[in-house]
Order: sequence, then structure tokens, then C-alpha cells
Amino acid sequence: MMDTKLLGCVVLFPIQILFCILKATVRLLVPLKRKDLVADVVLITGGGRGIGRHLAKEFAKQGARKVILWGRTEKCLRETCEEIAMTGTECHYFVCDVGNREEVYQQAKVVREKVGDVTILVNNAAVVHGKTLMKSDDDALLKTQHINTLGQFWTMKAFLPRMLELCHGHVVCINSILSLSSIPGAIDYCTSKASAYAFMESLTLGLLDCPGVDCTTVLPFHTDTEMFQGMRVR
Amino acid sequence: LRFTMNIVVEFFVVSFKVMWSFVLAGAKWLIKPEEKSVEGQVCVITGGGSGLGRLFAAEFARRRATLVLWDVNRRANEETAELVRDIYREMVPPKGFRNSVGELQLFQPQVYTYVCDVSKRESVYSTAEKVRREVGNVTFLINNAGVVSGHHLLECPDELIEKTMMVNCHAHFWTTKAFLPKMLELNQGHIVTVASSLGLFSTAGVEDYCASKFGAIGFHESLSHELKAASKDGIKMTLVCPFLVDTGMFKGCKIRKEMAPFFPPLKAEYCVERAMRAILTDQPMVCTPRTMYVVTFMKTVLPFDAIVCMYRFLGADKCMYPFLAQRKESTNNNGMKPGM
Repeated sequence: MMDTKLLGCVVLFPIQILFCILKATVRLLVPLKRKDLVADVVLITGGGRGIGRHLAKEFAKQGARKVILWGRTEKCLRETCEEIAMTGTECHYFVCDVGNREEVYQQAKVVREKVGDVTILVNNAAVVHGKTLMKSDDDALLKTQHINTLGQFWTMKAFLPRMLELCHGHVVCINSILSLSSIPGAIDYCTSKASAYAFMESLTLGLLDCPGVDCTTVLPFHTDTEMFQGMRVR
Repeated sequence: LRFTMNIVVEFFVVSFKVMWSFVLAGAKWLIKPEEKSVEGQVCVITGGGSGLGRLFAAEFARRRATLVLWDVNRRANEETAELVRDIYREMVPPKGFRNSVGELQLFQPQVYTYVCDVSKRESVYSTAEKVRREVGNVTFLINNAGVVSGHHLLECPDELIEKTMMVNCHAHFWTTKAFLPKMLELNQGHIVTVASSLGLFSTAGVEDYCASKFGAIGFHESLSHELKAASKDGIKMTLVCPFLVDTGMFKGCKIRKEMAPFFPPLKAEYCVERAMRAILTDQPMVCTPRTMYVVTFMKTVLPFDAIVCMYRFLGADKCMYPFLAQRKESTNNNGMKPGM
């Protein structure tokens, strides 16, 4: 015995699903209006190299107000920062290992004081150990977990509260297709990326209640950066 | 041209193999394969002190396996061991089997307990060493230990987040590294990962738990690919993904009340029974209840908005909120229950 409200929901449900599928198909075909970044302060972890570096340059090109880079290698950070500064966008860099919880909180405080509130957080920092389980070094396995997964917990805890207060923000996670489809030889990476994927999904579902804060998860296949250099498909 | 022909031929072979695997899977539904025997084999169960771990111990005991129970809670572990000893005593006297010189030997299975915190790497390795010395080669490894912090991300103390990740996910690294070498040498073994349906899809509010369970599943899949790549087909792996089990771990969790009849919290015994069937017939993955397969499938084909629609329809997107609220209200000053 279902009451009318439930009956309505049951009838509406397949229509809602169909509508969502149609909307997604339209989005694929019709280019959407891009949001304006002129007021946004972007922070990219692992911004010195690879995808992070390219993202930073792209954000600067798209008109972000400030770009902040976090990473472990000062040389790469400085080079990227100088390149971006030359294009006219204000750029800062800080040396920070996202696997180290205290360092993340400390540097987050420094960022808030020196630069301002971060409105776009790009969790991009990642490492890979790349050996089979038995050949992997235990500390290296843990390091991958700490940087790829736990690091995202800490950066989120550092920057999300302010985004929620301002009701304005965007959290981006650069994940990997390996989180959904594992391969042999990168067990630490696959595990950590799967965890990060779940974390973002859970967070995305929770943040649906906050219309000002958006979430995006990016899952690229094998990218031609240094990280997975040498990996070959058939 | 020869190169193209090779690819084309191989493509057909692969397509045929894929279709054949569907046929085999269908056949397994109709003709239930025989369950393998675990008599006399050593089975390590982490988190054996309570919940699913205890039930797994009972099931393996009934099948006359030697049990090694690991738990961080000594008393709960001993209680499970007592339960197992009762089961051994009640069993029909064993039929003997002849050893290499033809002498009749009566095998009496035993249960061993160890207090071990699987989140600590050194503890796992030293306990595993003891098990190897005192018990023998391990055939079955049931990675079952699990905890949940029970707090929203922004309210959760960092130590609890780390603890959830370390027990539910990182521990699998250590236990597998401890026991896999011997399994690889003998090309015989079975690793079971007790994850959760929250390792296949997420829900709001339990970010640490979902992350750790997805990680455990990612680890499991990656390891099975590694074993396949190494052609170690004697080592089997099974992934167990139960939906909400009524062990009290997620007490208070509620999905939409109208949907509740379709997704009741699982009886732990039913869940373990299904899991045992899967383990003993070398099934790679089992979800309980079967409706979880549908949810997982929908998740892979529907756009995100549609998935949210589906979750909202089931009341699954906020199902953990009452559980979290209950945890917050409880006067238990230790905000985390180890094991279940």
C-alpha cells in the first residue's frame, strides 16, 4: 500500500533518469558557458611539473586572479611560477609536502595570510612507486598512500571550511582511470587513486547541499608526462 | 597486411573468449559448482573477534579448517576461539587419512589466537612470523578487519581518519606481503578481501570509510591482475561486498523508509553463507544482496546527475547521516569501535 507521494516518486523516477541522460547528451554536443575566473584564487598541489604545471598555465591563461603552486621541488616550482608571472598573472609558490599533515595546515595558514582565500583547490599531487607488491618497499607504499590519498583529506580540511563559509568554491581532483580499472605493477598507485576517487565521490554527494561549492574529478588515461614514462600499451 | 590479419584474428579470438566467459558464468548459475574442501588447511582471519569475522571463523571451523584469529581485542578474540572449539567438539569424529607411510592419522583441527593491531606494520609481520612458526603455511587469508570513524570529514579528528585508512586499507598491504610469498612458492592459496558495497559506490558523510573500502578493492583488483600476469593460477582471490550488515557497525544508518523493505540490513549469517559459497567455489566476487550488482552497473552507465537521482530516490545519499548523528550523541568517549 503506497501513498500517493511515493507513487508519484516511483512514476517520476524513470522520467527523471531519462531527463538526466538527455541533459548529459546535450552537454556533450553543445559547448557550455565557462565560468569567469577573474575573482578566483587557484591553488594547485604538485604544480611544479607535469599536469599540474600545464594546469597552472592554463588557469593563468583563462584569467584567474592568482595562482598558487605547492610542491616538493623548489626548482620546478620557481620555474613554473616565473613562467606564469611573465604572462601577467600573480603567481606564488610554497614548498609543501601534502603527505605531511602538519606541513599542509601550516602552509595553508601562510597562504591565507600572504595571498588570500583559496577558491579553487586542485588536488593534483601524486607519486607512483610502480613495482609489484612483493617487490615494493613498504615505506614507499605508504608514502604513495599518504601523498595521493591522505594529502587530499588534509588539503580539503584546510581549505574547504572557508569555501563553505563564502559559499563559493570549487574542488578539483586529478585522479586517474587506474582508480577504476587496475593494472599490474602499480598496486600502490591504483589503491591510492581508488581511495581518492571514493573520497571525492562521497564529498561530492555531501556538497550537493551547498550550491556555491562545486566538485570535479578528472580521470585521465596515460598522459605523456614524466610520471608514467616508459609505460606502453600494446 | 599480415599484421592487420593477426590483429583481426586475435580480436575474434578475444570476442569469443569474452562470450564464452558469459556462457560459463550462466552455467554456474544453473549447475552449482562443487565446493572445495578446506579440511586441515590454515585460515587466518583478521578482525576475528566480532561481527563477520566471528561468523567466518564458525563457518571455516565447521569445515574443519585450522583457524588463526587475529584481533586487537583479546577478550573478543578468545570468545570466538571458544565458539570455534565448541564447534570442533560437536563435529563427527574425523575419518582418518593416511600419511605418506600409510599410517592412519586422525586430524584434529585447532584454533590459535593472536592479539594483533593490523594497522601497525611491525605487529603484522611479527605475528605472521609467529603463525608460520607455530601453525604452518597459511592457505586462506581473510582480510576482514574494519573500522569506521563515524564523523563527517570536517568534524573528524585527523587521527581517526588515518586509523580508518590504516586498518581498512593499508593493513591489507602488510598481511598480504606477510603471507603471499609462501602462497606464491606453493602456487596455492586464497586471499579474501571483505570490503563493502560502500567500496563500489559512495554515500555522503563517510568519506574516510568509502575511501578506505574503494582502496581495498583497488588493491584487490590490482593484486589479482598481478597474479594473473605472473600466471599463478593456484592462488585465488575473492572480493566480498556486503551491503549494510546488522552487526551494529553502522547502527542508525537508514535508507528511505519506503525502500527499506527492498534493502533491509543483511542478516550477518546470510551474508557469510553467500560469501563462503563464493570462496569455496573460487568465485572472484560476491555482492550481497544481489541488487547491489544492479546499482553498481547503473553507476557505470548513467551520467552523474542520474546517479544522484537514483541515490535520492533510494534515500541512499544521506543514509549515513542518522548513523553519524547517533555516534555524536553517544556518550562513548572512545569515538571508534575497533573490529565491528
